[in-house]
Amino acid sequence: MLKKEINDLLTQTGPGTPMGDLFRQYWIPALLAQELEENDSPPVRVKLLSERLIAFRDSEGRYGLMDEFCAHRGVSLWFGRNEESGLRCTYHGWKYDVNGQCVEIPSEPAERESALCKKIKLRSYPLVKIGDVLWTYMGDPAQTPDLPEWEFARVPAENTFTSKRWQECNWLQALEGGIDSSHVSWLHSGGLKTDPLFKGAQGNKYNLADLKPFFEVVESDGGLFIGVRRNADDDNYYWRITPWVMPSFTMIPPRGDHPVHGHFWIPIDDENCWVYSFDYHSTRALTGTERQAMLDGHGVHNEYEPGGSYRPLANKDNDYLMDRAAQKRGDTYSGVKGIAIQDSSLQESMGPIVDRTKEKLVSTDSGIIMARRKLWRAVEALRDDGVQPPGVDVAHQRVRSAAVVLPKDQAFIDGCREALEVQPGVKHASV
Amino acid sequence: MTTPTPTLARQPTLASSCARAATAAEARFRIDYPDLSRRDSRVIALDERTAGLARELAAATERWRGGHFLVFGRVLPGGDAELRTAAGEPVRLSSELADADVVVMLAGPADDPGPSADAAAVIGDACAARFIMSAGLVVPGPGPVDAAVSALRPNAMVLVVLQDGDDVAEVLSALRV
Repeated sequence: MLKKEINDLLTQTGPGTPMGDLFRQYWIPALLAQELEENDSPPVRVKLLSERLIAFRDSEGRYGLMDEFCAHRGVSLWFGRNEESGLRCTYHGWKYDVNGQCVEIPSEPAERESALCKKIKLRSYPLVKIGDVLWTYMGDPAQTPDLPEWEFARVPAENTFTSKRWQECNWLQALEGGIDSSHVSWLHSGGLKTDPLFKGAQGNKYNLADLKPFFEVVESDGGLFIGVRRNADDDNYYWRITPWVMPSFTMIPPRGDHPVHGHFWIPIDDENCWVYSFDYHSTRALTGTERQAMLDGHGVHNEYEPGGSYRPLANKDNDYLMDRAAQKRGDTYSGVKGIAIQDSSLQESMGPIVDRTKEKLVSTDSGIIMARRKLWRAVEALRDDGVQPPGVDVAHQRVRSAAVVLPKDQAFIDGCREALEVQPGVKHASV
Repeated sequence: MTTPTPTLARQPTLASSCARAATAAEARFRIDYPDLSRRDSRVIALDERTAGLARELAAATERWRGGHFLVFGRVLPGGDAELRTAAGEPVRLSSELADADVVVMLAGPADDPGPSADAAAVIGDACAARFIMSAGLVVPGPGPVDAAVSALRPNAMVLVVLQDGDDVAEVLSALRV
């Protein structure tokens, strides 16, 4: 349960809101790099943290992210021409560079044009390619943090794959699904046996043999580690450990030698979010089969509606292609195909912003309770004292998930401290 | 003449079905009624440090929904234990668990894990025998919490290691204690 004022505090991320200010402390995913695949490619409309923006890549390969609307008459620059190192409004020919600086106003006398241009600049944010993602920082330029160091974005290109999908609900209820380890045994049961990106791991046997796991939540510098333990044998526990780094990064514990999956949940506005889903292997290239499975929507990825909107093929307009016969047969637990859509179908059904004053949490929801509490504390510390929130420091980003077998008397945080940190050239700890 | 197979597109779509059901407008029609349900929670401090915290928490009566705040006393024969209420009244663990839905154990830093481990074991076993959910909160303070974690781990289905003592009340509120 959460009081209404706290629910509002954590779910509203527009300009000037406390949670919006918190998100604006971080480099966050703005687009996939493939959306601006080449120089002078078409501009892309981007809505982030309730701000409407336009992204483009100019003739020199520089990326720009700026106010979507021309300073002149408020026309969307999505209709613009991306040419000769700038984005030109097709209404009257005003042109902007990647920093939002107006560089041409063709209707003005040549003698005055330059002086007038200097006075016109659209709000713009930096846009940087790291891995498969274009990252932006929407906060105070004087406080720009170091560039992100998430391992999935820093490994060689052939080791990693990232997709994104539009989810039609507030970012927080989507994130909470990612740290709610207890739903996996229900909603996603079935996937462990059949999904090409999960099946075959020894850990799956432990998962399926012990349906009464114990949970352990430990605070970290960047957020939380959420450990789930099951019986492995008489002397050992099987631990699956999920890191959450503020504000919205999670990584699923690995299975065997499969690539490791994870997510970022980024607010579009208060009723929609982007789910960035990644898969990577720390020490080897993804195989052709693995990459194809990801492109086909397996694992944490999904199929799309045609047209390039990044809206899932199974969405709320078609009841997520619910298959009651598959549900009855047990092919899937919920009747919805695929882990990503199993999650989004239920999370969107809660409504655009779930009313948390009515929920009835139980102790297995402790990860969610603690994540909310940490967000709430960080928002207040930033608002009241200007304290930099956890997760901005790149040291907090060098985390890994882990799946390990440990002696019963060993705390997971001690037993796999090294495994929970990025070690270049060393594989994820996985069973 | 054959009857066309109905498809989703051909079915009449009410505002409360399919896509529109998840809109903010439709959320207004969710049944709104007061939450009168009671959750019978037992919060049990295992050591001296958390005993004081339990008494403080108990004093904020307006915050709680009937949860009992208790302090562990001693192990009794037969898998039972003596507890004390915040007011100091002795009660039996077995009688407190008779109507309990969840038990939250509190433990803090200690040099000797022995007493907390014994307390956690008897409570954990009693909860397991009655199919009651058991949780443990490790409360920070001066000194290491390893002993508290060790004491609680085998006996709590859910264990949370806190870095800020203020979070205890927030976690209990979220659980509607």
